[in-house]
Amino acid sequence: MTHTRTKLLIAAVVLTASVGYLALAGVKSGWVYYLQVDAFLEDDTYQDQRVRLYGLVDDQDIEARPAMLTARFKLNGESRSIQVAYLGVIPDTFKPGGEVMIEGKLDEAGVFQADVLMTKCASKYQSEEHAKRLEEAS
Amino acid sequence: MISGLGNPSLTAAVLLAAAALFTAIASAKLGSDRMLIWSRRLLYIFCAAIVLACADLMTALVNSDFHNAYVASYTERALPIGYKIAAFWAGQEGSLLLWALLLAGMSAVAAIGFRKRARTEQAAMLAVLAVVCGFFAALMLFAANPFVQLPVQAVDGHGLNPLLQDPYMIAHPPLLFVGYAGYTVPWAMMLAALIAGRSDNQWIGATRRWLMFSWLFLTVGIVLGAKWAYIELGWGGYWAWDPVENASLLPWLTGTALLHSVMVQQQRGMFKVWNAALIACTFLLCIFGTYLTRSGVVQSVHSFGESVIGTFFLVFLLVCILLSVGVGIARRRLLKGEQPLEDLMTKEGAFLALNVLLVLMTLTTLVGTVFPLISGVVLDEPVSVGAAFYNKAVIPLALVLLALMSAGPLLTYGKDAAKVLGRGLIVPGFAAIVAVTAAVNMGVTNPWALVCTAVAAVAVFAVAVALVKSVRQRGLIHDDESPLIAAARVIDGSHRRYGGQAIHMGMIMLMVGVAGSSLFSVSETFQLRAGESGTLGKYTLNFTDLNETRHANYTAVAAHVTLTGPDGAETTMHPQMRFYDKTEQPSAQVALRSSLGRDAYLTLAGWEEGGKLVAIQAIINPLVAWIWIGGIVMTAGAVFCLLPCLLPEPKPVTAMSHARPTASISLTLAGDGQCMSQTTRTHATLCQEART
Repeated sequence: MTHTRTKLLIAAVVLTASVGYLALAGVKSGWVYYLQVDAFLEDDTYQDQRVRLYGLVDDQDIEARPAMLTARFKLNGESRSIQVAYLGVIPDTFKPGGEVMIEGKLDEAGVFQADVLMTKCASKYQSEEHAKRLEEAS
Repeated sequence: MISGLGNPSLTAAVLLAAAALFTAIASAKLGSDRMLIWSRRLLYIFCAAIVLACADLMTALVNSDFHNAYVASYTERALPIGYKIAAFWAGQEGSLLLWALLLAGMSAVAAIGFRKRARTEQAAMLAVLAVVCGFFAALMLFAANPFVQLPVQAVDGHGLNPLLQDPYMIAHPPLLFVGYAGYTVPWAMMLAALIAGRSDNQWIGATRRWLMFSWLFLTVGIVLGAKWAYIELGWGGYWAWDPVENASLLPWLTGTALLHSVMVQQQRGMFKVWNAALIACTFLLCIFGTYLTRSGVVQSVHSFGESVIGTFFLVFLLVCILLSVGVGIARRRLLKGEQPLEDLMTKEGAFLALNVLLVLMTLTTLVGTVFPLISGVVLDEPVSVGAAFYNKAVIPLALVLLALMSAGPLLTYGKDAAKVLGRGLIVPGFAAIVAVTAAVNMGVTNPWALVCTAVAAVAVFAVAVALVKSVRQRGLIHDDESPLIAAARVIDGSHRRYGGQAIHMGMIMLMVGVAGSSLFSVSETFQLRAGESGTLGKYTLNFTDLNETRHANYTAVAAHVTLTGPDGAETTMHPQMRFYDKTEQPSAQVALRSSLGRDAYLTLAGWEEGGKLVAIQAIINPLVAWIWIGGIVMTAGAVFCLLPCLLPEPKPVTAMSHARPTASISLTLAGDGQCMSQTTRTHATLCQEART
């Protein structure tokens, strides 16, 4: 009995240690700050590392060329904004005024070079349209 | 006729659920059987009320009644009828109504199945079910009403989100909801058994069918969701570790653990606390996942407006946690195991390891999913851990789990298990060495791929070895049967065992598909002018032209691409961009050429100069088809588990007289749901043991 218990204990320790190690390694490699434009611009520490930003695409200052796989646009936060250059496939749902999430790094010229661009699509379960209708109805 | 009945039905449903709860409690307190009968009836009437509400919404959807805000938001006149029906679960309110319908139906079935149980147990189960049913009805009535009427009828609806206009999307959400709703019943059964003070292990047997049933639907739902993401989202993957996906994976992981550990409690009276905790966790994770994805607390690619729904779910979740923990603590004496674990290298030891691994995977996935929340509190700024986290932390655990699974068929209960396992592993081990050597010779060097090859080989051969052994043992008493018939009878004699092994084989296929596509996928984006070609791996693609076609509710712009495979075979593919009438943004339609070996996956990213220059993203995904085949095999295995015995057993003429004492032992071992031939099989085993 005590023999089994010792084995169990050793197995538990080994397992916990390895899972802990895996999780730590995973967190380290996946660690990305997720910031709003204002928060990103206010703090220098974020500016030389890869971050994920979210904000609204400017209505006017936007140039998307799907066939050239490039997009340049202004990303607006609450009070500040940043120029973004994106290289890659442009999602269908990318549009002026839309909410997007980008991932990348700031370059020397102060332009945010993004290689990930995701739009926050109207979800499966909640459409803006429906929210508007409900307000109308009430 | 039905129109306008929606809201009154929901109001009635809330009252009915409350009444069912009170009569159930009263019947237990007063010892009244009449109250119990009434509680059950009220639950049936609740079910009818929800059916009526559903009929109202469905009629409105099919008839395009744009007085209804939900109908106006999620459908349009030109929408094909199938999608008008599917719009039922396209939005928040409708999907909750569907969940309520499934829950009500299953509660009624569970109530019928429980009619013969003792009063307290029955009353407790009815009360728990009534609470959950009442919650969903109240949620719709107060926070997510599908019957809100517009002051003025809309001229036309807003249309269904183009991403949801896909056959897989019609099937995927309802199947998930069947799983979610199904896990409510075992939870209610467990609480009832504990409240009633049952110390036997029979009640857990009754939960098994529900656990298997819910697991089956959850599995199909998840696989179809992955398939939908693969062909509709256009990024070439099927799983992104998005919170919405994780929300369905979490209960699946604990549900999978349960299917195994419940067996140990049934047969050995062990793991009682585990099982109770896992049943509760599985149900709670269904609710928690829904809270997470619909309340807007976790930022995800899918943005969910923050809504009152979240608060409702959170409060309900807390109530359910308190109830589970409270009952568990009050009845802790009933949850003590009947015997200690003898050794780790036994079936029960393997089940324990499997449970621990699955729970660790659940925890890791959970931590990753809520990491932005935790770090938002601890570090001020939310940090998110992307797919890299899950790939590093969860995937290795999954591989260990699959390795354990592959040895599963060779494990036995009790002390001699290690010896039996050692002997049984000789053939599969040899097969693994041969398979890995072959893979290395074919030029595979990736260590993960080689590990997967070894695991797959061991798994397949372990099943084969175990089956051959059982067929041989049967041959000892039925020596007149041909091996094929004997094999069929052995398999038919134990649906649970062989259904389970089919599920394991499906899981292995799925692993092969995931490993192949994530380790060896190649992709490139080409910018091509008419007549130009690009090459990717051994494939060549040639762009001819771009043209436009008109469909019921959208216009499609399609590129003509000729794909030449490594074998020289040519296929014309049409990656499209669709412009739906009711949405501003275009929607890409993937062109896919699928074979067992690899998928060629093309998306039209955009064009310029009036279609003379296009950008096409091409991805070659090896072995993806095996994920879907694995899903089908897992489904078939789970269905087989639930089926009764199919072949009539011939009368065992031989040795009937001295079989009697062993038969009585084996009947108790066989437990519920097992076929009679289990008796003869166990008898054969005993015969063999007597000879050796």
